[in-house]
Amino acid sequence: MTLTQSTKPRQAGGEEPVLRLQNVSKIIGRKKIVDQLSFDVRRGEIVGLLGPNGAGKTTTIRMMTGLIKISEGDVKIAGRSIQSQFKDAIVQVGAIIENPEFYPYMSGYDNLKQAARMTDSVTSERIAEVISLLGLQEALHKKVKAYSLGMRQRLGIAQALLDRPKLLILDEPTNGLDPAGIREMRDYLKKIAVSEGIAILVSSHLLSEIEQMCTRVVVIQNGRLVTERAIGAGGSGQERPELRLRVDNPARARQVLESLKGVQALDGREGEHEIICQAADEEMPALIDALRQAEVAIYRITETRKSLEDEFLQWTGGNQIA
Amino acid sequence: MRNGIRLIQNEWLKLTKKRSFWVPVSMMVLIAAMVTFMLYKFSSNLSEIDSAAAYLSGMMGASGLGQFVAILSIVGTAGIVAQEHAQGTIKFLLIRSRSRGEIFAAKYAAAVLYTLLMTLIAGVSMYAASGFMFGFGGTGAQWLDVLKESAYGLVYSIVYVTLAFMVGALTRSTGVAIGVGLAGTMFGSLMIFKDFYKYVLFPNVNLSVYDTVGPPLPGMSIGFSLVVLAVYMALFLVAGYTVFRRRDVA
Ligand SMILES: Nc1ncnc2c1ncn2[C@@H]1O[C@H](COP(=O)(O)OP(=O)(O)OP(=O)(O)O)[C@@H](O)[C@H]1O
Ligand SMILES: [Mg+2]
Repeated sequence: MTLTQSTKPRQAGGEEPVLRLQNVSKIIGRKKIVDQLSFDVRRGEIVGLLGPNGAGKTTTIRMMTGLIKISEGDVKIAGRSIQSQFKDAIVQVGAIIENPEFYPYMSGYDNLKQAARMTDSVTSERIAEVISLLGLQEALHKKVKAYSLGMRQRLGIAQALLDRPKLLILDEPTNGLDPAGIREMRDYLKKIAVSEGIAILVSSHLLSEIEQMCTRVVVIQNGRLVTERAIGAGGSGQERPELRLRVDNPARARQVLESLKGVQALDGREGEHEIICQAADEEMPALIDALRQAEVAIYRITETRKSLEDEFLQWTGGNQIA
Repeated sequence: MRNGIRLIQNEWLKLTKKRSFWVPVSMMVLIAAMVTFMLYKFSSNLSEIDSAAAYLSGMMGASGLGQFVAILSIVGTAGIVAQEHAQGTIKFLLIRSRSRGEIFAAKYAAAVLYTLLMTLIAGVSMYAASGFMFGFGGTGAQWLDVLKESAYGLVYSIVYVTLAFMVGALTRSTGVAIGVGLAGTMFGSLMIFKDFYKYVLFPNVNLSVYDTVGPPLPGMSIGFSLVVLAVYMALFLVAGYTVFRRRDVA
């Protein structure tokens, strides 16, 4: 998987985060919809904001963009407070919140021009650039009311990118898209993260989606932070990954593995020619040699990665995801 | 300054790019032509009217076609805030580096411009139509009267447009805003002969009466009415702005 990190090394820890939430709360009535939430997003990261329905994702994003007041705490964008330095902070942000809404009786181009007139520096060259980045050329002069949802999502990203934001915030960007559309969107975002070099915060409850796109996830539930963790690009990133071996004779394989130092073997799936073990990369050549010497035929070796969904269910108690 | 103009340009395009924009415009032209023709055909006291200018000075105020200008302007602009909420485009609008105050001001400016345009269309259409009947000329004094009556008509329209604008910002409902605006233009003709009533908005809005039938209530003058109107307009705008600025946008 190619991620921004491969082309843009993560900044040293000292750099100011593009987005910083400091103990942010939203209180409506007597209810704390978002409760003391803190996390950072740094340059080059694609971070997933995960949580079950009603967790407070949209509410958090609304606070970040100044649409609703922050009851407690503060949101800083590139060091500027969204509360006390609204214009300086928001100018760094491009966002789609819930659905991308446009003036339906205007063309996509006219809608982009509306957005451009609200910035200080967007030129018609920049508009053209964004249009070609998102492949919007054909639909450009059609009225937005004739757009499919996928086209509207793309136009939404186009307007968000216009003013070269440092931070792109997308609330459910794949909402209502078909599998092909979702894939297309994901590819766009990755392309954009590289070509525009920005931090992206994506909220979603589509976990496989987040897993394939993000470098890190922030999980919230009932407005509170549950966990925050990196997602390995391409692997679990663990030192001793769990491996599933498909062999002709699992019993013999098990004996061999148990004789090796440091390797733990477990039974694989019932009725299948499988065995599961944990081993570090350095141990693998010796492990394979040993199996071959014992004349065990190896068909496959795969990593038994827990899907993000499994972990998500574990983090959030599992009974109320979408 | 440039930013402000571009915001107003945005608001203006939102008003005028709708296909429905042409409905009030063509209605204005049609009604102006029809009213002029009917008056010419069926009115008995036309002897005083010797030119298009004389005709216009009688028609541009609220007692003439001014009320109709106000109604069309209210219908055209009452949704300028509410519709952003209804369409969800308010999010698109508020997450730019423009303050809510600037956006609110640009919207109000566009509403005033729209009212100005409707007044202009009314004037031009009536001038064209009446010119054929009374001749296109007019004396200098008559043209001054036209200007004055047009200004009175404009004040009348803008007051009710401002009322509807505020209601739209407060309730986020285009329907309620139009309803209140139109109700306002109707209450204008209602008169309560009590002293307190001179401080109410309605008897003060039609300034043309000072030149024709005189003050609606004792103690009223054109200066008095202008002060009352200014106070109400400021109240409407401050109320609308306060709510617009502080609102949580869901
Ligand atoms: N204006 C409001 N008044 C009262 N409660 C609200 C308000 N806005 C949101 N809530 C509540 O706050 C909680 C969080 O809502 P929010 O929309 O942020 O969730 P979400 O994580 O975006 O959910 P979803 O995945 O369904 O989009 C919900 O329980 C919702 O009912
Ligand atoms: Mg949501």
